Amino acid sequence: MQAPSRRIDRNPPSKNGVPLSSIYLFEVASQKSQWLSARQTAIADNVANATTPGYRAVDIQPFSAVLDSSPIKLATTNPAHLSLPQSEPGALGETEADPTEQTLSGNTVNLEQQMINLGDVNRDYSMSANIRRAFHQLILAALK
Amino acid sequence: MQDSLETSLRIAASGLQAQSARLRVVSQNIANAQSTGSTPGSDPYTRQTVSFESELDRTLGANLVQVKSIGVDPSPFKLQHDPGNPAADENGMVKMPNVDVLMELADMREANRSYEANLQVAKQSADMMNTTISLMKDA
Repeated sequence: MQAPSRRIDRNPPSKNGVPLSSIYLFEVASQKSQWLSARQTAIADNVANATTPGYRAVDIQPFSAVLDSSPIKLATTNPAHLSLPQSEPGALGETEADPTEQTLSGNTVNLEQQMINLGDVNRDYSMSANIRRAFHQLILAALK
Repeated sequence: MQDSLETSLRIAASGLQAQSARLRVVSQNIANAQSTGSTPGSDPYTRQTVSFESELDRTLGANLVQVKSIGVDPSPFKLQHDPGNPAADENGMVKMPNVDVLMELADMREANRSYEANLQVAKQSADMMNTTISLMKDA
C-alpha cells in the first residue's frame, strides 16, 4: 500500500506527462478546479462588461487542451535549482468566444449564454470537489 | 497572481457599481422629466447619458468595468404650448426636457437585468469558495 505516500507527492514523476498512478486523480481534480476558477473569472469579465461598447466576449481554452499540454519540467538535481513556475489559472489562455450576436456598439456578450456557462461551472466545480472528497475518504478508509 | 475566484468577485463588484451608477442617472432623468427652466425661453433639464468602458486592472490582471463618462443627450427639446409657465417665450411655447420616460424605463430594465447577472456571478464565486472550504470540514 503505497498510495498514501504518493498522495503527498504533489507533482508525481511524469516521464511524458501521463503518470499512470491512479492517485493522479487528485492532480487532475485540482487542475480542473483551477480551470473552472479561471473560467469563472472570464465569465465575470463578460457579465460586468455586458454593456461596454466594443467589448469582445472572451472564454478560455477547453479543459482537454489544458490536460494535453504537459508542462515541460526542468530537471532539478539540487534543492537550490529553480523549477519553472507552475501553470497559473491566468495563464490558461483566453480566447475570443464565438460571437453569436453583436450589438450596434460592437459588444458581443450574450448574457443568457454567460448565465448558462455560469451554471456549467457551478455544477462542474461541485462535482470536482465531491470527487476529491470521495477519493480522500477512500484513502482515509484504507489508512484506518 | 490573485486567486481567480477572488478576482471574479472583484469584477462582479465593479459591474454592480457600474450598473448602480447607470440606475442613478436613469432616476435623475425620470425625476427631471418635467423640469423646465425658470426664465422665459430658457433651456430645461437636459437628459443625461452614461457610457461604460472596460478597464484593465493590472494587479488583478482582469478587465473591470467602469463608468467612462456621464454625458448629455444632444437631441432637441420638445416644445409645448403653455403660456402660463414661467419659462414660456413670447409665443407661449415652453421647452420641455428631451427625456422620454419610456426610454428611461427600458434602460432601467436593462440595468436591473445586468445587475442581477453580476450578483449571480458574485454569489456563485462565493459558493465555489465555500465548496472548497467545506472539503476540509469532514476530512
